[in-house]
Amino acid sequence: MINERRIREFIKRVILFIILSIGAIIVLFPFFWMLYIALKSPGKEFVLDFSFVKPFYANFLRVWKNESFPFGRFFLNSLIVATSGATLTALFCSMGGYVFAKKNFYLKEFLFWIMLSTLMVPGMMYMVPQFAIVTKLGWINTYKGMVIPHVASVFGLFLLRQHIETIPDSLISSAKIDGASEWQIFRTIIVPLSLPVITTVFLLTFLFQWTNFLWQLVVNTPESMKLTLPVGLALFRGQYQTQWCLLMAASSFSIIPIAILFLIAQRFFIEGLTAGAIKG
Amino acid sequence: MKIKNRVLRENINSYLFLLPFLVIFLIFLAYPVIYSFILSLHRVTPYTDLYNVFSDMKFVGLKNYLKLLNDSKFWWSLIVTFYYAILTIPGMIILGLLLAIFLNNKLPGVSFFRSAYFLPNVLDILVVSLIWTLIYSPHFGVFVRFLEWIGIKGFSEKGILGNPRTALPGIAFAMILKGSGFGMILFLSAIQNIPHSVYEAADIDGANAWQKLIYVTIPLVKPIILFLVIMGTISSLNAFTEIYAMTQGGPYEVYFLGEIQGATKVSGFYLFENWAQMRYGYAAAISYVLLIITLIISLINARIMRRKF
Repeated sequence: MINERRIREFIKRVILFIILSIGAIIVLFPFFWMLYIALKSPGKEFVLDFSFVKPFYANFLRVWKNESFPFGRFFLNSLIVATSGATLTALFCSMGGYVFAKKNFYLKEFLFWIMLSTLMVPGMMYMVPQFAIVTKLGWINTYKGMVIPHVASVFGLFLLRQHIETIPDSLISSAKIDGASEWQIFRTIIVPLSLPVITTVFLLTFLFQWTNFLWQLVVNTPESMKLTLPVGLALFRGQYQTQWCLLMAASSFSIIPIAILFLIAQRFFIEGLTAGAIKG
Repeated sequence: MKIKNRVLRENINSYLFLLPFLVIFLIFLAYPVIYSFILSLHRVTPYTDLYNVFSDMKFVGLKNYLKLLNDSKFWWSLIVTFYYAILTIPGMIILGLLLAIFLNNKLPGVSFFRSAYFLPNVLDILVVSLIWTLIYSPHFGVFVRFLEWIGIKGFSEKGILGNPRTALPGIAFAMILKGSGFGMILFLSAIQNIPHSVYEAADIDGANAWQKLIYVTIPLVKPIILFLVIMGTISSLNAFTEIYAMTQGGPYEVYFLGEIQGATKVSGFYLFENWAQMRYGYAAAISYVLLIITLIISLINARIMRRKF
């Protein structure tokens, strides 16, 4: 009787394992396919065999140093935009989160309420007015035009406020008695104690900026030298419709770093992305 | 006097810390909500200075909104958006829930599966769309070849995305595979929080696996289902990149109110098209109507949430 139940349990697990494996293959298939096509020689992308271009990195090299579409440059641009955006966002959100968590100031409730209500506005509707503002500021085709409008992340500020509230007030007041300035308190108490949440905000913003397509398409004209990877990919595809092996090689420049980053820092990504859901 | 001084100092200090965030917030997130409405009452003048378009617009009152009412393309884009939401939301919820239930067993490699299913969520949506365009493409696309292999030959000429009936479902399928890991993680943490005694009680009552799912699991994860519905609706209203990369709104083979319409032209893409054609006032009007629709949906959802929980 017990034996039979064990066998049934075992069979159930084997079946589940097989289903999950097939599912994982289907979900990850597009990315294997991308690499597979990126390794084929031009013109032979659709011959389903295992003959690959030699040397295997030929396609990657060709797009990295391409003259009209220098993906090496696009990669660098993406890196600059994502890193500076993430750094500024993490810094400004921690500073703002600190005062919202620990201080009383004039108009605090009102500002909090306004920030909360902008969370309801869908991102798409910001395209036209933000484009108008950036045009008026003369920020078209600049890094700041790509980065600054998205640096005030209300979500990041709330995440940090929520965490900083849990830091005991006694730590802050004893530092004050020791004569620490506000900035010293922020730097030596608040930042070290919120480092995991700051990392989360940093990584999520990095990801957001790295994969942001619409805004970077809007603030750059096609001949801009500041194009990021997704925009470069879209324009490249417009010109070389059939060069799939090159397009897929260029695509891996966008996919592979993020996949590695995700595997290293998975915990932060998952906690950050699901934080909004659990609290809301 | 001393107290007053301290309050003042506290205020100054707080605002100094808040300043960088606040300035950017006010310019790029708060002001645009008002500015967008102002823009929607204007129209770009012909022959305007290209570098000075926005200082040079003409006031037209509510004309843009009146035009919107009679714009069959706009109404069609709302229908397509709604259809896109219907195609993606249930798929993501069902797949996410199923994966979570499967992963809630003691199996080898659970954490590997969890990462594998979640990974596509963080990858560049433009690239994922490009890869799927390749997979769906006519003649050579691996999906079309697979269909031929199992005996379905109707897609060889135009592929999945060239056919007005299958284009949007094809996009939705790709996005479901990309996005369902998100729901999976939420469902998984909720299911793991359900006490074992609840399932044991169901076992004693003789419930089978299906009954346990319907009467125990689903009622307990209802808040997450509602959350995913709201998120899915908003992301359908925001959908743009996948359409841009995969179909550019086409194929143009659907008739609606006497005009040819793009089978996959969601409202986000229609808004973008108007922006690209420099109809900034009209585009601002479209975004304002979309904002109001979003707010109404959020309010309805908030109401449902409050009633049920």
